[in-house]
This record gives sequence, structure tokens and C-alpha cells, in this order.
Amino acid sequence: MKISDLLRLSTDNLRRRKGRTALTIIGVVVGTCAIVVMISLGIATNVNNEAMLASWGDLTQIQIYNYAYGATETPTLNDEMLNQIRALDHVVAVTPYYQPNDLNGTILSGKNGRYETGVWQCYGADPDALEKMGFDLADGSFFTSDMSLGKNKIPVMVGENFAYNFEDTRKSYNSGKRQIYQGQTDANGNPVQPFVDMNKDKMTLRLSCTDNNGKEKKQDYELVVVGTFVSDYSKHYFTDSGMVMRLSDMKMLEEAYQKLSGTQKRQSQSYMISNGVMMQEKDNGYQEVYVKVDEVDNVSDVESWIKDQGYETYSMTQIREDMQAQVAKSQMILGGTAAVALLVAALNIANTMTMAIYERTKEIGVMKVLGCELNNIRTMFLFEAGAIGLLGGIVGVAFSYLLSFILNNVSSLMMGGDGMSSGLLDAFGSLGASGGQISIIPLWLVLAALAFSTLVGLVSGVVPANRAVKISALEAIRRE
Amino acid sequence: MAPIIRVEHLRKVYRVGKEKVVALNDVSLAVEPGEFCCIVGASGSGKSTLLNQLAGLEKPTRGQVFIGRHCISEMDENSLAKFRQAHLGFIFQSYNLLGSMTAAENVALPLMFQGVDRKTRLELAKAELARMGLASRADHRPTEMSGGQQQRVGIARAFVCKPKVIFADEPTGNLDTVTTRKVLGRILKMAKENGITFVMVTHERELAGCADRVVTISDGNVQSDRVLTEEEKAAGRAALGVDQLEDLDVADALAHEKEESGSKPTRNSKHLFKNPIKIKRNAK
Repeated sequence: MKISDLLRLSTDNLRRRKGRTALTIIGVVVGTCAIVVMISLGIATNVNNEAMLASWGDLTQIQIYNYAYGATETPTLNDEMLNQIRALDHVVAVTPYYQPNDLNGTILSGKNGRYETGVWQCYGADPDALEKMGFDLADGSFFTSDMSLGKNKIPVMVGENFAYNFEDTRKSYNSGKRQIYQGQTDANGNPVQPFVDMNKDKMTLRLSCTDNNGKEKKQDYELVVVGTFVSDYSKHYFTDSGMVMRLSDMKMLEEAYQKLSGTQKRQSQSYMISNGVMMQEKDNGYQEVYVKVDEVDNVSDVESWIKDQGYETYSMTQIREDMQAQVAKSQMILGGTAAVALLVAALNIANTMTMAIYERTKEIGVMKVLGCELNNIRTMFLFEAGAIGLLGGIVGVAFSYLLSFILNNVSSLMMGGDGMSSGLLDAFGSLGASGGQISIIPLWLVLAALAFSTLVGLVSGVVPANRAVKISALEAIRRE
Repeated sequence: MAPIIRVEHLRKVYRVGKEKVVALNDVSLAVEPGEFCCIVGASGSGKSTLLNQLAGLEKPTRGQVFIGRHCISEMDENSLAKFRQAHLGFIFQSYNLLGSMTAAENVALPLMFQGVDRKTRLELAKAELARMGLASRADHRPTEMSGGQQQRVGIARAFVCKPKVIFADEPTGNLDTVTTRKVLGRILKMAKENGITFVMVTHERELAGCADRVVTISDGNVQSDRVLTEEEKAAGRAALGVDQLEDLDVADALAHEKEESGSKPTRNSKHLFKNPIKIKRNAK
């Protein structure tokens, strides 16, 4: 028997019982629609969560904490270790944000160094990593590792509002004019510019210490601004009010200061008591290291490797995974409810097919006697059941799009914003994510829904179809 | 010539509750190719059971049925379906046409199972219907036809794929005398023209008059099995009037017009044709 003939017989049979077919299809429509919409809510929530997390910080970034106090088995987080991390798969860049503990100095600007600020906002970073870490520049460019400006000249990159750090040393500490704050306005409401113009004024970094004889020693370096960051606290504090120099320059300053002051790097001076255990501070390398990973999905692999080394880490991945688990849980509950609808639809199909077979017992008997092969009879009924599933799936997906459209637009249509959507989101429990679309139906969901509804139809048709196959031809043709 | 149908020590026992009912005791017979064989017997004699065994619709309790070289009593259901598709035709007492299909589609059914494409098989079906004098009814549904017409559709369906053997279970059982003659004459002519072996079960002994071989079944046993002589056949045919075929065709066509000019057969009037006055001529 030809497939086309089987198809024709099946569709003819469905058409013969339009009302019943339609009712059965509606069952599948409701089930499919419920599942698709529920899943679309979850997808939308995940997308919204992702956007929210991205606004909190870089999703592909891992922060390594390395306490100076603590477990002794933790390996030192030095350049060698950073190179190991750098060599991992999926790692794009690794950099410490290094601040020496004991660097005494000031940054001066203006005539005779009138304007002054401390060096505590200075960080040393891997020059090649910064661009990869995704920092945005308001002005200038990133410095490079081979950049050389001449003796005692250090290239630096500054935060957007670094200039506001400067204080006017000619004013007393109590004077309101000693400092200019960001956002400060004059009597006319115009913003007050900081004392120092980063692009014009020269800056000097002065290392200074007082030796045992009370004599002050100094050493000056010129700071050359090569770039200015766009302020973004989610990336790092220094993009706003800090200053970054190359790690090598920072270490050079550290050494120069040690030479100047004649002291060695501070060692083992401090103790801390925690849980009754006295812990000695030790130098365990960089205290703040950032790792940039290529894809969000690879973050947890890299992070767990670093954790295995004994470091504590922080990344958005944990929050992200928690959130996703939360959404998955809600989705399971809602999807499960929707699945019940589809299960009912499946029972419906099975019932319809069984009825059809009862009605057509005689027809099946005649076909068998005339030489219709058993497989053809089975296929015919499976086609019918599958067609009900597929048709229901198609209409269900269409309705899902409609529902999705309504959900996405209902808040703006009805309440002009908050009221309605929060009400809806409350109804959907923890699926609620602020902003963005409430329901997203990607193409894969459409295809999966169609495949699944057809499968449900086919599966529901198996038992009735086998029943049709087992009908005794002789008894069937005797029936009136 | 080797017999086309061979039955060896066939026995069929039905279980009804705890009781056993012996429908066929020990039946052996043979039918030659091209023969018109009538199986006659009173109701309950086991003749229908025998036909069901011959056609492979039921499995015998014991014994074997051969059609050609194939032992159909030992085939599984799928091979049987294929075998029926290729070699057997069926005519039923209650026509068993599919109500959802037109006459032509009904006739084309066996061809569809064989995988003949739709255009070809509908052409063949229409040609077969034309041979049965039903060319104008090809696109009607069974409910729009009289009993005689329906049975002729049934006959066309049996003949359309030119099977080796056709089995008929009381094909004229629901028809009136005139229609019975027409239908039987048609069957006879077509079977002879195509060299088809025809096995018919009937309880009307007169109908057996035109057969080549008459097998009488009584209480599950073969009471008699004999080949009729030419004289007997001629007498039987004359008595039935099956040789006046051409005239009957005309009469049929006329009867048609009468039916249609009178009241058009509708769903409501179909029972008029389905159960026409049936003249029962009981076999002695």
C-alpha cells in the first residue's frame, strides 16, 4: 500500500468526524499552549536575569581572594601561579590589581605641587589584560607592556573622576575650599571643575620617607596619562576615582621606595586570632586577582580549577546558577502543571482513536479480508493519531504566540507599567524578573513543541492501533 | 490437472463455554482450477465454517488447507493478508462495502492494498463496474444504491484484481429472485471468462444447479461431492435462467430507469432495496 493512500485514508477518516476531531485537537492545543507559554516565561526570566547580572558586573570574570591570613596550604599567588591560570583553556586574561602595602608617597600637581593626593588609589595591573577585561575608555588609549616614555616617566590610566581626589594644600583642613567634590556646583548651578585638568596639567609622583635622623628623602616620577576610563563601579572602583599603572612600574616604585627608606618588605608582623587559632600574617602573593573567561558557560570550569588550588573565588556564575536553578524549579512546577493538560489531551486522543476503531470495526475487518496488511492498518491509525497531535501542536503554537504577545504588551497596554505586570509576576511566583519581556518563544521551542505534540499523538495512538490490528477479521465482518 | 484447492481431514471445534461444538468433523475435498464449486447445506451444517477455513479467515483445529502450493492453514496473519491480496477474492452476503467510499473506490480497494496508484486503479475499477452494468453509478456511495447494485459492486471488487480463487458466502442471500438470477449469471460469466475458480456457499440447492461441482455438507461431514454432467448443468442453467444474460442486462437497465424515475433511492428508502421480498426456496 502506498503512503499517499494511507495518508488519504487517515485524513478522510478525520474529516468524516469533524466535530470529534476538532474537540480532540482542542485538547492538544490547550496542552501545547500551556507548556509553550510556561517554558517561554522561564526563558524570558533567564534572559532578564542575565541582563540584570550583567548590570551588576562582568559575568565572565572571576575574582580570586587571597587572604594574607589563613590556611598555609594555599600556594602563593605569584606571577608563576598567574601564568598557570593564564594557560588554562578558556582563560582570556589574568591580572592582579596590586597595591603595595608600604608605599609612602603623594601625587602632586599644579604650581609647586599645590594640589596633592595620596598613592592609595594606585593599582598595578597587567597592561595586556586591561583591554581584554572589557574596560571602556572615555579618552586616550590603553598602555602597552613595551611602552617607554623615558627615564622616570610612568604611563598611567586614570579613572574618570580621579581629578577630584586632589586637595588644595594651601587651604586649611577645615576649609570648605580644600576639596572639590564630584557633582559640586557653584552659585549658578554650574558644575565646578576639579583643581587639576588631567589632560593638561603635569602630575608628579613623589616617594618620600623620613630616615632615622629625621631627614626627609624624596624621589620624583612624572606620571603621563595615556587613557581615561569610563566610570563603571561594576567593573572596578579605579575606573572612577583610581589610577592604574603597569605592574612592572608599580614594582619598580616599590623597590625604589625600599631603597629609599632602607627597609625590607614587611614580613610577619601582624597576627590575627580567629576561632581560637592564632594566625600569622604571611605574604601570600597578590591579594586581588581577576580572571577573564571567554564564555559565560566556561566560567564554572575555570573557577572550580582555581578553587581546587585552594583559593577563594567570587564570580557571578554562582548567583547565575542559583538563579537558573530557581527558574528551573518554578518552570518544573509550571511545566508539570502544563504537562498534566497534555496528558489529558493524550488520554483524549487515545479515547477518540478507540472510539473510531469501535465504529470502524467492520471496515477494518473488510479491509483485512481483502488483503490489507496488518502494518498498514496500524500505520493508518498511527497517522490519524499523529495528525491530531501535529495539528493540535501547530494551532497550540499559534495560540502561544498570541498569548506571549498579550503577556508582553499587557502591562504597557493596561496599566502603563508596573501594576499589572507585578500582579502577573506575583501570580507566576518567583519567575518574576523586573523589566524586559515576560515571555520569549524561540524557534527551538516551536519545533520542540511540534515534535512533542506529534509524539504525544503517536504514543496515544499505539494502544488503539494495536487493538485495531488484533480485531478478528471474521468477527468484524459479521458485525452489523 | 492438480487441484487448486485441497482440503485434508479438516476439523474445526468451537468452544462455547464448557461445551465443545464440532462444526467440521473430518472434511476432505479437492476443487479443480476454473471450477465453479457450490457448497450447499442447511444452516448449521458447517458450510460457512468450511468456507472460512478455505479462505484462511480461521485456523482449523486439525487438518490442512492448500491453495495451489501454499498451505494457508499454517500461514501467519501477515502472510495470509499478502496471499489474499495477491490470489483471493471475496463476495459477502451483506456486501460489506465501505460507506465512506464511492462504488469505484470500493472496487479499487484490493488494488490499493496492492499498491496500484490511484489513477490506474480507479480506471480499472470503473471498467469493472461498467462490465457489471454500473458505469453510471461509479461515483455513488453504497447508501445510494439498491441491494442488487451493491452486490454487483461487491462482485466487481472481487473480480477487479483477477484473483485465482473467489470465495462467496451466500452472495445472493439478501437479494430477490430476479436480482439473484442476474447476479449469479454475471458471476458465472465473469468466472468462466477469466478462468477463475469460484467457491460459493449457499443453502439454496437450486442455485447449485449451474455449478460444476456440488459439495453437500451435513453435520460437519461431506455428505456428497459430485461433478455435474453437462446435461444436468444445462437443465440447472435453464431453470435459473442465467443464460439469458444479455436480455437481463437490458432488463436491468430498464429496471434502473424505473427505480430512478420512481423514487430516487435515498438514505430513508434504502431499506426498500436492502430487504426485498425474498422468496425462500428451501432445499429438500
